[in-house]
Amino acid sequence: MATTTERTAAASSKSFDIVATYNELLRSDPDLTMPIAAIEALVLVLTHSPSSTISETLDLLEKSTAHLKKSIPNPIGLSAGTDLFQRYLITTLQRPGQLGPAGDFKAIRTHLLSNGRLFIRRAKESREKIAAFGRGFIRDGCTVLTNGGSRAVASLLQKAADEEGGPSAVRFRVIYVLSSISKNIEEPSGEPEGMETVRTLRAKGVPVSTIPESAVAYALGKADMVIVGAEGVVENGGIVSRMGTYQIGLLAKAIGKPFYVVAESHKFVRLYPLGQYDLPIEQRVVEFRSEDDIAEQGKQESSVDANGDKPIELPLSDSVDFTPPHLISALITDSGVLTPSAVSEELIKIWF
Amino acid sequence: MADPVDLALPSSSATAPAQPLPKPATENTPSQQTQNLPIRDSKTAKTPAPSDKQSGKAKDVSKPAPASADAPGATGADKPLTPAELKKKAKAEKAARRAKEKLDREQGGAGTAGGLAPGGGQSRPPTAPKKDAAGGGASQKGQKAVPPRRGSGPTGQTGAVEHKKKKEDKSVAVFGHLYGQQRRTTIAGAGKEVHPAVLALGLQLRDYVVCGSSARCVATLLAFKRVVESYTTPMGTSLARHLTTHLSHQITYLSTCRPLSISQGNAIRALKLSIASVDPSTPESAAKATLCDFIDNFIREKITVADQVIAGSAAQKVQDGDVIVTFAGSSIVKQTLLTAHKQGKRFRVSIIDSRPLFEGKKLARALANAGLDVQYSLVHGISHAIKDATKVFLGAHAMTSNGRLYSRVGTALVAMSAKERAGGVEVPVIVCCETVKFTDRVALDSIVVNEIADADELVSAAPPQQVTGLTDPVTTTKPADNKKGTSSAPTTDPSDSSLTASSSPLTNWKDTPNLQLLNIMYDVTPAEYVDMVVTEMGSLPPSAVSIVHRMSTNM
Repeated sequence: MATTTERTAAASSKSFDIVATYNELLRSDPDLTMPIAAIEALVLVLTHSPSSTISETLDLLEKSTAHLKKSIPNPIGLSAGTDLFQRYLITTLQRPGQLGPAGDFKAIRTHLLSNGRLFIRRAKESREKIAAFGRGFIRDGCTVLTNGGSRAVASLLQKAADEEGGPSAVRFRVIYVLSSISKNIEEPSGEPEGMETVRTLRAKGVPVSTIPESAVAYALGKADMVIVGAEGVVENGGIVSRMGTYQIGLLAKAIGKPFYVVAESHKFVRLYPLGQYDLPIEQRVVEFRSEDDIAEQGKQESSVDANGDKPIELPLSDSVDFTPPHLISALITDSGVLTPSAVSEELIKIWF
Repeated sequence: MADPVDLALPSSSATAPAQPLPKPATENTPSQQTQNLPIRDSKTAKTPAPSDKQSGKAKDVSKPAPASADAPGATGADKPLTPAELKKKAKAEKAARRAKEKLDREQGGAGTAGGLAPGGGQSRPPTAPKKDAAGGGASQKGQKAVPPRRGSGPTGQTGAVEHKKKKEDKSVAVFGHLYGQQRRTTIAGAGKEVHPAVLALGLQLRDYVVCGSSARCVATLLAFKRVVESYTTPMGTSLARHLTTHLSHQITYLSTCRPLSISQGNAIRALKLSIASVDPSTPESAAKATLCDFIDNFIREKITVADQVIAGSAAQKVQDGDVIVTFAGSSIVKQTLLTAHKQGKRFRVSIIDSRPLFEGKKLARALANAGLDVQYSLVHGISHAIKDATKVFLGAHAMTSNGRLYSRVGTALVAMSAKERAGGVEVPVIVCCETVKFTDRVALDSIVVNEIADADELVSAAPPQQVTGLTDPVTTTKPADNKKGTSSAPTTDPSDSSLTASSSPLTNWKDTPNLQLLNIMYDVTPAEYVDMVVTEMGSLPPSAVSIVHRMSTNM
């Protein structure tokens, strides 16, 4: 974070580059979620801007939010953060008293910024809370199937392993579904997402089995429950998550295993997708092409590497799908364990 | 002497329609004989055969049967007319009794309704206000009204009592509790307190000139605004107290024209609340101005602007290449589709419509005039229409607390067809609904709470003139708005429509035994068939309706 402020201070003569800041924040802190990074970036924007009125502040906020959303291929996760921050600012400014519209703007500004930081700190703590709520779901002798690289799931599982009393008294097992597509595009042969969690769990003495995505249906019979993470929780209680979550949800429903989602409540997005293809992002997962098309593309791009379909908008490894609410048994969040239909209630509480 | 005649004649007249031609002759002969030979009479009545034999000469008379047919009317004016008169008297009595029984049954029906569906009946009060009168004891009377229908089948051919019962059974048993008082036909008998604007509105509501939940709500509020404007507080009372009772006269009148919609009820509740909160010390003119402002604001916030917001956010769900299926003629769906069209989206609309209101015709015309690609079909073509659908947009009459959609009858069918399509691909069903239409009631089925319209609407072949302004959609496409201009066309057309109507086999349905017509207005769509409810407060899953309702009423 210090580096970013230095860098931006150097570039403060021209406009503050929020996109670079956002990316830098995400890279520098592996524990940071997208919405929190977005909020942090927005706070930094406000810190660096010389805005002196409320409307100017809100305008700046709106502009940088729009800019950020436009420049990031998948803005679903971060839009939860920006929306939340904007909402928070507006409600703070509408409040009567010293910090309201009548008060001194400088005081308001410092208050906002300090509160923004407080918000970020609290959000980071929310994973601990989730782990506390969710620990009860993992009982003696059960087998958990999970996927992806969700940090909330990882912390929940680690917490459960710790609580059970270390290596000597491990009482649950994990089936970890590893994506066949590497997270790292530069080195396709690199280790898949989630390997780090697998290693940590194994170090704690939890027996972990890793399976490919194609073996989910086969392995689900041995699992007692499915726990997945989410990139965003949408208004109808469904989740937007790493590609492959939807099919696990469908299989779990078909086999009759409970399907739990672990997500921080700042990941609730004001979005209402009606289906897989109703997400506000462009991802070219299904692409039809004939031999001619490939040849033409080969001419255009001199180098056609192994994973040929590399969409410009969103790399395949980052593509997401939508799991509808009727497949989800419950959402474990830092505001409690919610049913999918309670999500909209939470969202309405935030927004009205 | 008079008694045997009475006995003989009605029975013979009752059998007459079913008997072959010579029988009228026998009817004549006994009547002549009764004057001559009164003792024979009872025999002839019971066994027509001896009378035939006995009156050998009378057979000659029977030849010119058509001539003698009118003879009893003229010649036997003194004697056979007495039974006719008696009959008339009996009929009048019958009518009075029927009216009374009907009243009883209304109350009793409500009682049985509670008995029929205990869960639903307890969980919420029925729509119609008259239901309050339904006591526990009344239910017995309701049950008393039921048996005659079953009995009427075999014994349908005899006495006047049976005849009466047959006529009464024209209400469908399951929906018996919904047959409240008949809709008001004229403004005669309306209380003198009822404002002229409200009088006119009542008739418009009844005739579906003002139709649709939002339109009815707005029209009611505007009429009430005029009521408030022309109101003066009588001496000795305060505005806050008296205006409420004054308004309730208007409301009672309106509800006799057509049962109030949920939106009307919500608006009235809000208005009454604001009247009650008027400070008694405020001068009358100021209070009235406040109330008028309140009404204007209510219409603007809850309907006009809300519609714009809903149309805007629902139009975002329309994508290029979509085929949108909608049912009947929802104003908010129309606005949504037009908004999406204005945004330059290219999509097709398939309108599904149903008898007898044909509300979809107006929508089809409006959309086609706007340049949209419209397909129109009736509800029996649903499986065909839904085949290439990608989205379903529905309007609402109300959304209940358990997330169910209460809307024009047929909506549930459309939603079900979309969600349970044989192909396996689900089509999202989107409901556009203002929060003013939310209710805290719970609907489990469409039987307990519903509205029954006049069954005669089903009989007439042509749609009501008031709704579309056109008699037949096929013939012309005149603009709907200049009703005054086209009023000449209906004057010529009704002859056609009445002709077709009279040729309809259902025309005499009231006199046809074992035939009941049901013209139900609404049905309930299960929450599972609804993917999304678009309101002015955002898009919700149907399960969140109760939360939003709570929040919007608390504010």
